[in-house]
Amino acid sequence: MTKRLAIVIIWYSLIILFAEYANAQDAQVLVQAAVNYYRGEASISTVDMTIHRPNWERTLTIKAWTKGQKDSIFTIIGPPKDKGNGTLKRGQEMWTYNPKINRVIKLPPSMMSQAWMGSDFSNNDLAKSDSIIEDYTHTITETEVHEGKKVYVITSTPNPEAPVVWGLQKLNIREDHILLSQEFYDEDLKLVKAMTGKQLRMLGGKLMPKVWKMQKADAKDEYTLLNYRELTYKQDLPSSLFTLTALRNPLR
Amino acid sequence: MYFRLGWRNIWRNPRRTLVIMTAVIIGVWSMIFLGSLMRGIADQMVRNGIATLTGHIQVHHNGYRNDPVIENSMTDPEAVETALKRSLPPDSRWSSRVRVNAIASNARHSSGVTLVGIDPQRETKISFIGGAVIQGRYMNPDSRNGIVVGKALVDKFKTKLGRKLVLMSRDTDGEIASRAFRIVGIFNAETEATEKRFVFVTLPAAQQMLKLEKGISEVSVTLSSQQEVHQVAHDLRAGLPSDKYEIHTWQELLPLVTAVLKMYDGFIYLWFLVVFIAMGFGIVNTILMAVFERIREFGLLNALGMKPGWIIREVLTESFFLLILGMLIGNSLGFLSFFALSGNGIDLSSLAAGMEYFGMSRVIYPIIQGKDVVMANLVVFILGLVVSLYPAVKAARFTPVEALAHT
Repeated sequence: MTKRLAIVIIWYSLIILFAEYANAQDAQVLVQAAVNYYRGEASISTVDMTIHRPNWERTLTIKAWTKGQKDSIFTIIGPPKDKGNGTLKRGQEMWTYNPKINRVIKLPPSMMSQAWMGSDFSNNDLAKSDSIIEDYTHTITETEVHEGKKVYVITSTPNPEAPVVWGLQKLNIREDHILLSQEFYDEDLKLVKAMTGKQLRMLGGKLMPKVWKMQKADAKDEYTLLNYRELTYKQDLPSSLFTLTALRNPLR
Repeated sequence: MYFRLGWRNIWRNPRRTLVIMTAVIIGVWSMIFLGSLMRGIADQMVRNGIATLTGHIQVHHNGYRNDPVIENSMTDPEAVETALKRSLPPDSRWSSRVRVNAIASNARHSSGVTLVGIDPQRETKISFIGGAVIQGRYMNPDSRNGIVVGKALVDKFKTKLGRKLVLMSRDTDGEIASRAFRIVGIFNAETEATEKRFVFVTLPAAQQMLKLEKGISEVSVTLSSQQEVHQVAHDLRAGLPSDKYEIHTWQELLPLVTAVLKMYDGFIYLWFLVVFIAMGFGIVNTILMAVFERIREFGLLNALGMKPGWIIREVLTESFFLLILGMLIGNSLGFLSFFALSGNGIDLSSLAAGMEYFGMSRVIYPIIQGKDVVMANLVVFILGLVVSLYPAVKAARFTPVEALAHT
């Protein structure tokens, strides 16, 4: 009798678990999970950012700390020419620090759509990085297969009153919550720019794309590469790291 | 006697008379016509300036003119409204606005604009925007996300009606405020700069976006007649506390236009003088020739007992006829060309980019001002007679002996 009851209970809990799992595949949750997956609770990373243009190319090495979904701070650690330049992001506000003039500048709205450090990322891309969760409605439109795993193609349409410039975003998220690509479309549903992840590696204990490429759709030989050198996930980082003082005094 | 003599004398050599008369005609015509063109340009500038969200008088929070930031908004519009109701003449109009600098962006473009939150109904009668929408519709008061933008901006952003435009600015807390609007209307303005610069939303939408609550940036007043401007501004200044509000007339609000207006006054009179100097030499030369040709004649008149003063009068009468005829024809030509062009104006669209630099319109409508016409004619007439004195005096000084010696 007790044995039968136990089997029933196990069955029921299995069904509930499965239902929850199916639920979890719901697009909204998938996106949230993907963002959580790559951001973690907190992280410290070193990234080589290569800005490629038809006539020149340069590489900056950036050290970045992130905490939760809102706060991050970046400091350039090389080459020496750019060393010490920093960007602090808290919520949707951003500050930059330039050691040459020893000034912290709060980025005004007028500068939000300009390129960040001359790359193909705009300040807005950074400041509004959590906008994909808050301002969009997601639906799974297709599934593909990537290295034997299922990849969900998610179409994200901005909410009617959301202050976003894009007409549509397309996300490719693998079933193990790895974000593989993010495409930005205008209101004519033409591709404006796309960010794609390549070379899945173990980074900071998680399988992650090691290289990210951001490219505008209408400029074939212009792109920005992010190459993760190191990435460690932390449970937490002190809040004092994400302050204007920390921005002024980098190198920890 | 002088008139008959003078009249006959000038037609003794009709070709010479016609040539110098042509010079006078062209001179007078150019004075009147170019004067009216310049007045037209100036008038258009003033009207554009006033219609482009200036109005005749504006009320701001103290310091807004020097630093048009959101902190310098008027937080208590009711106080301003009561003061306005008290001191404005009954037939004047006014409208409140929120006006801040903002960034408009869509997926591919972004650009700095001036975000203007307006009361759609009141605004129609006050600034150009009411009648300027060429595509789509003007805002209705309760459209929360409607935005009206200029044609040039739409072209620059490669967007169209119904598309989204995200505006970013700084709110009262100093944070970045952003909000998405849909383009409901596209307006056309006199200058491309205006089309690129201003975007219009409703007052509540702007207040909500910037967390202004009831606050406004400015009140713009238009009066039924420009003459009252200074009196009304004075009354308003008396009615509102000067430590909180500042009141400006359009002359102060548009210093460039005011300066250009003054410059044009100078230009016109300078032009009159230049034209006259060229014309004056022609007149002196012609009359002098006419006089030297007739040395024997003047000597004879002298010998017959005509006093030098009478001879001077006779020669001056000749130049009087020349001037009067030239002025008559010149004036009529001037007015003719003015009427021919005042209907449709002169279309300078091809030069629009350069003209806009000065805030000029694409089409110039000439305007004739009485004082310019009087001035032009007086200059020609009086100075014309004055310069003719020289040959006249010369003629009066011929003695009969000299005349006899002259062959």
